[in-house]
Amino acid sequence: MARPHIEPFVDRDVPFKKMTLPGFPKGMQYKMLSIDTDNGACSMTVLFEPGYKQPPGMSYTEYELFIMTGSITVGEKVHGPGSYLFVPAGVAIEALTSPRGATGLLFYNHGEPSFVESDSDHPRAERDRFAAVNAYENMQWTSTNFFPATAPGCLVKVLRFDQRTHAFTFLYCMTPNFWQDNISYHDCVEEAYHIWGTSWMMQFGDLPTGGYFWRPPYINHGAFGCKLGTLAIGRTDSQLYNHFHFNPWTTPEENQERAASRLLHRNPELYKWVNTHGHNHPIDFDYDHGHAHGDTPHHHGDGRVDHGHKKKKRRRR
Amino acid sequence: MKAIPHKRSREVEAWLKKELVEQKKRYKKIVAEQDALAPKRDKWVAEFLQRIQTRGTHVHWDQMRKVRPEEIPVKPKRKFRVVF
Repeated sequence: MARPHIEPFVDRDVPFKKMTLPGFPKGMQYKMLSIDTDNGACSMTVLFEPGYKQPPGMSYTEYELFIMTGSITVGEKVHGPGSYLFVPAGVAIEALTSPRGATGLLFYNHGEPSFVESDSDHPRAERDRFAAVNAYENMQWTSTNFFPATAPGCLVKVLRFDQRTHAFTFLYCMTPNFWQDNISYHDCVEEAYHIWGTSWMMQFGDLPTGGYFWRPPYINHGAFGCKLGTLAIGRTDSQLYNHFHFNPWTTPEENQERAASRLLHRNPELYKWVNTHGHNHPIDFDYDHGHAHGDTPHHHGDGRVDHGHKKKKRRRR
Repeated sequence: MKAIPHKRSREVEAWLKKELVEQKKRYKKIVAEQDALAPKRDKWVAEFLQRIQTRGTHVHWDQMRKVRPEEIPVKPKRKFRVVF
């Protein structure tokens, strides 16, 4: 995911724009939060105008939709504030309407926004991955399950968890007077949007309602504080591990070195294998052996994981 | 299947190009705003480095430890960047 470090950005400072991409019906507006320079994947605040009507249809990329205010109706089901939908690529959803209007967040994960009118799924669609939940009404706050953990007073509701990458989408809240006196960074991309409330980070200052960030891996953030409470939605692209420290001036490169060193101490056998195995191409028996397609980063003992392979036919077992 | 291969129309390519140009402007504005925040940030950092010696730094959940004076890092000469 190639997006620049966008932090902080407050969408309340910019106006909505009309969505003019082919396929999208009239009546949808958006504010771009961040966009991938390679594949057009993006995160947007969206506004469905009162009376918005969208026929049944699908997108070429998976997307996530979170409703903040108002409501939408998909088929006969009404999705009000707190509703979250995960729609895999090619899955056709029923007609979407918004009689009184709505605002939400729309995340296109692996390609530019697209809408193709269709009342049936694309042949390659994985409908079983579709998910919908109302996070305000049907989920309860839990402590984070990270080790090391964030300080008490930061609670989460996990909306989606990818079992392979451990990427997840979650609501989080900070209770009034939350504070955490350390500096954190992660091995993953972290993205968040403030639905309500203001929190503070030592690097960036206050992030108010409508505040947003897209933060690439290994970038320092924290210490943290929140006076009156905050409700936000967050996402990662892989496992979130809290690398805590207290040096405000380290660079992402230094943080990455430290993360590798910590891997050596936490997972010595795995580290040794990754470093010394002749081929260094981890195979997950749960999934396709990507090497046949050259689509999995790996190296041949020289540490260069950016090389490619020509497509080969898949091996038969 | 994260995305289904498809061909982009000219309109889509033009839309993407425009959004990427706007994002570059957004990024530059953020960098400028964050550079302007430097004096406040320096003060916040000084207060943080003081607090972790008296109240402590979080290491896990509610567990904290006090940082010894000799552990306090020294500010390097390079520019203090927070946006990368």
